[in-house]
Amino acid sequence: MALMLNGMGVSRGIALGPVYILHRNQHEIVEQKIDKKNIAKEVKRFKSAHSTAKKQLQKIRSDIPAESPDDISTFIETHLLMLDDAMMSASPIEIIKQNQCNAEWALKLQRDAIVKVFESMDDPYIATRKDDVKHVFNHIMEALISRGKTRAVDASEKWKDRIVIADDLTPADTMIMQHAGVAGFVTEMGGPLSHTAILARSLNIPAIVGLNDARQYLKRGESLVIDGESGLVLAEADELLIDHFHKRQRELRRKTKELGKLNDAKSRAKSGEKITLLANIEVEDDLKRLRKINASGVGLYRTEFLYLRENRVPDEEEHYKTYVRVIRALRGAPLTIRTVDLGADKEIDTVNAGPLAHNPAMGLRGIRLCLHDPSIIVPQLRAILRASAKGPIKIMFPMLTTISELLQAKHLLETTKESMRAKGFKFDEKIPVGGMIEVPAAAISASHFAEHLDFLSIGTNDLIQYTLAIDRIDDQVNYLYDPLNPAVLTLIKMVIDAGIRHKIPVTMCGEMAGNPNYTRVLLGLGLREFSMPPNSILEIKSVLRQTRLSNVRRPALGFLHCTEKDKQATLLAKINS
Amino acid sequence: MLESEIEITNKLGLHARAAAKLVKICSAFTSSIEIEKQDQRVNAKSIMSVMMLAASRGNVVKLYVEGDDQQSAMAAVTDLISNKFGEDE
Repeated sequence: MALMLNGMGVSRGIALGPVYILHRNQHEIVEQKIDKKNIAKEVKRFKSAHSTAKKQLQKIRSDIPAESPDDISTFIETHLLMLDDAMMSASPIEIIKQNQCNAEWALKLQRDAIVKVFESMDDPYIATRKDDVKHVFNHIMEALISRGKTRAVDASEKWKDRIVIADDLTPADTMIMQHAGVAGFVTEMGGPLSHTAILARSLNIPAIVGLNDARQYLKRGESLVIDGESGLVLAEADELLIDHFHKRQRELRRKTKELGKLNDAKSRAKSGEKITLLANIEVEDDLKRLRKINASGVGLYRTEFLYLRENRVPDEEEHYKTYVRVIRALRGAPLTIRTVDLGADKEIDTVNAGPLAHNPAMGLRGIRLCLHDPSIIVPQLRAILRASAKGPIKIMFPMLTTISELLQAKHLLETTKESMRAKGFKFDEKIPVGGMIEVPAAAISASHFAEHLDFLSIGTNDLIQYTLAIDRIDDQVNYLYDPLNPAVLTLIKMVIDAGIRHKIPVTMCGEMAGNPNYTRVLLGLGLREFSMPPNSILEIKSVLRQTRLSNVRRPALGFLHCTEKDKQATLLAKINS
Repeated sequence: MLESEIEITNKLGLHARAAAKLVKICSAFTSSIEIEKQDQRVNAKSIMSVMMLAASRGNVVKLYVEGDDQQSAMAAVTDLISNKFGEDE
């Protein structure tokens, strides 16, 4: 029977191989009194362990192949510097002398004291560096306990092609295992920002972290499959599944190789037209990937997390600090901030959206809720305006249905601007204002909306749901979900045409924009700006670089009249061939 | 003795790798170099002390440099911090 577990995928790729469980010497550290006459001996023990740990790290550093990325050696360098710091090399000796205790206990006292300082820090990124501190202390501890015997993680053959299951791995462990040819690893602790996770990504080792009790569920020698993207761990899978994952592994390797070449490639159709590829982001981590793949900016920055995280309306300063961080990270690339879209499936306690609606998707949500209670959105508008002095920002209102809603929202923005001017704040006076077109009524009236807006953005997820009258999470009607439904495509085309007529840009920021199956259809309908999850950008770029726009225009229009499912599949295969 | 105030502007603040760079540069000078954040003043040649200062983006830190090569030491350290420790963001 196959066993399926889920962890946090932190390094892409599929690995197949037998399980190797790493059990470290789990010695409990106990305090022992040391006689005065033996203190010198205990100090010597500590010094010798410290120098063993140092030699091990130096060896790992010298074994790093010259062609490796810089950050790999930097991790080890940093650990060496920490090891040499008086807090690690001298303070434990002072403790041995003062407390007249064994070296292990002194080291533990010092480690706990320092880790405590890191745990109390406000800055989450620096606080996670306590893992590094622990790792370095543990290098010394391990040397102390094993008394010069070999380390738990060494460069021997036993790692080759295996998937290692451990409580935690230090960057040094990861380096050694990579040399020894490990296929992948799963750890019980750690998160996506740990140095071990970053290292696994640079070394291209499929890796999963944060899988609690992994060592209890998995047995040594069992066959294992891990998917470092989704976090899936599959033990003792049958041949059919193994076969499937082997195929996916090959496919993924080929694709990654191909797509990797496109990082710096221009985002132009084969026929030469420039197509704008933007990213949808939610958390700041998404920004890192953006830089690498050269996205032209952010087409949708969702801000609900600011509200949901603390379960309240954040103040202006909280908004402002976050936006400034994002705009700085983008270094001049434009940022489209969607004002908060609460209601429906996203609610917070302090905002009263009235009695629970029967059908929240059609209830008081998005801009409706904000106009109903402006205190939800005004601090956000002020913060967006202030941040617009630091870089190119656009504002986007969600869930617009009528023109009068749009005019009210714009009026709110204008009065906010006035009060900011009065207080002497600097901001972009011409900050572009756009609207999400995701309600069928707005799509049909797109032309009227375009008269009052600087850009339109098609939100396909809701547009499809409202047009076809289906709740996407209701399994019973899910079969109706179809982005290529002619009614949906007709609405999309109306919005694109309204943009062309009024000479304002139209972006699409729903899931449809990031699905390579639909890229040519959308290009054919006239869409020139796509916004999607960062992970999809290279794939979409690859499709459009192979597309001549003049060849897809007519076939795309064919979908508008295609009412039969079979015929639709044929058309899709044809346009994508 | 030279004193100077400077803002930390890289995205991640004085995290491990940035601290490592700072310590390496400081260690190349004979002058004593100290860094202060909100009344907490530590030796800039000790990576643990620098990390435990937990200086984030937006924090203003004060540098104290004293010794024969204090001019060039101060210049090197301010350069490093204002260039965001060579990081992209």
